[in-house]
Amino acid sequence: MRGEWSVVVAGFTTLVFLCFLLQGLALVLGRVHRLSPGGTAEGKAFALLKQWLSPVQLAQYENNGCFEVTGCHSGKRYRIRRARQMNIDELDEAGARSAAWCFGPEGNLPIGDLMLAPKISLENDERTALAVANRGFGNEGPSRTPERYWTRVS
Amino acid sequence: MAKQFVMNATGDTRYQFDPTDAAAVAKASTRFKELIGVGYTAAVRRGAGASELIRDFDPSAEETVFFPRLRGG
Repeated sequence: MRGEWSVVVAGFTTLVFLCFLLQGLALVLGRVHRLSPGGTAEGKAFALLKQWLSPVQLAQYENNGCFEVTGCHSGKRYRIRRARQMNIDELDEAGARSAAWCFGPEGNLPIGDLMLAPKISLENDERTALAVANRGFGNEGPSRTPERYWTRVS
Repeated sequence: MAKQFVMNATGDTRYQFDPTDAAAVAKASTRFKELIGVGYTAAVRRGAGASELIRDFDPSAEETVFFPRLRGG
């Protein structure tokens, strides 16, 4: 009787150990999958973004996490940064931020998509894009985005 | 193979079709119309960094990206 009980305990212990082992393995595999290029929503979105950037924009993005586009109607330059909100800077002739714009596609999209859609829109239909956008302050006033961010990407 | 990328929370959903396959082209055209109908914008890649917005299905387009209606953030 005592021997049988020992077997049950040993079996149960082994089972618990295997459960922990499998759970750990699943966590590791999940982390590897999330870190792999294209394995996540953000990974896919950034990969798509890079395919649609010009060589100059891609170099800007790789070096600074942002890139510049030219508005098709006004000829103004805009800088699109890697952020979810207020991620579009209108630039003056000296390249300084003169205004901040915020617009993007509806839905909970990854940041790469939130950068690609404004690029396409500003380069092809600037007026329509800005018509729905919210405009923030430029250099003349406070920004809704921490100032340290502006200095980091500039 | 032509590709259609539909932006969504997973990054995008990708569809491929053979431009020489009439049935596949018809299916891609239907998808295009449905997406445009619910407010998506379609853009075709025209070269390195260049794109063009389109309102009508272009069976010769190699890559078309669809993004949901724009709104102020």
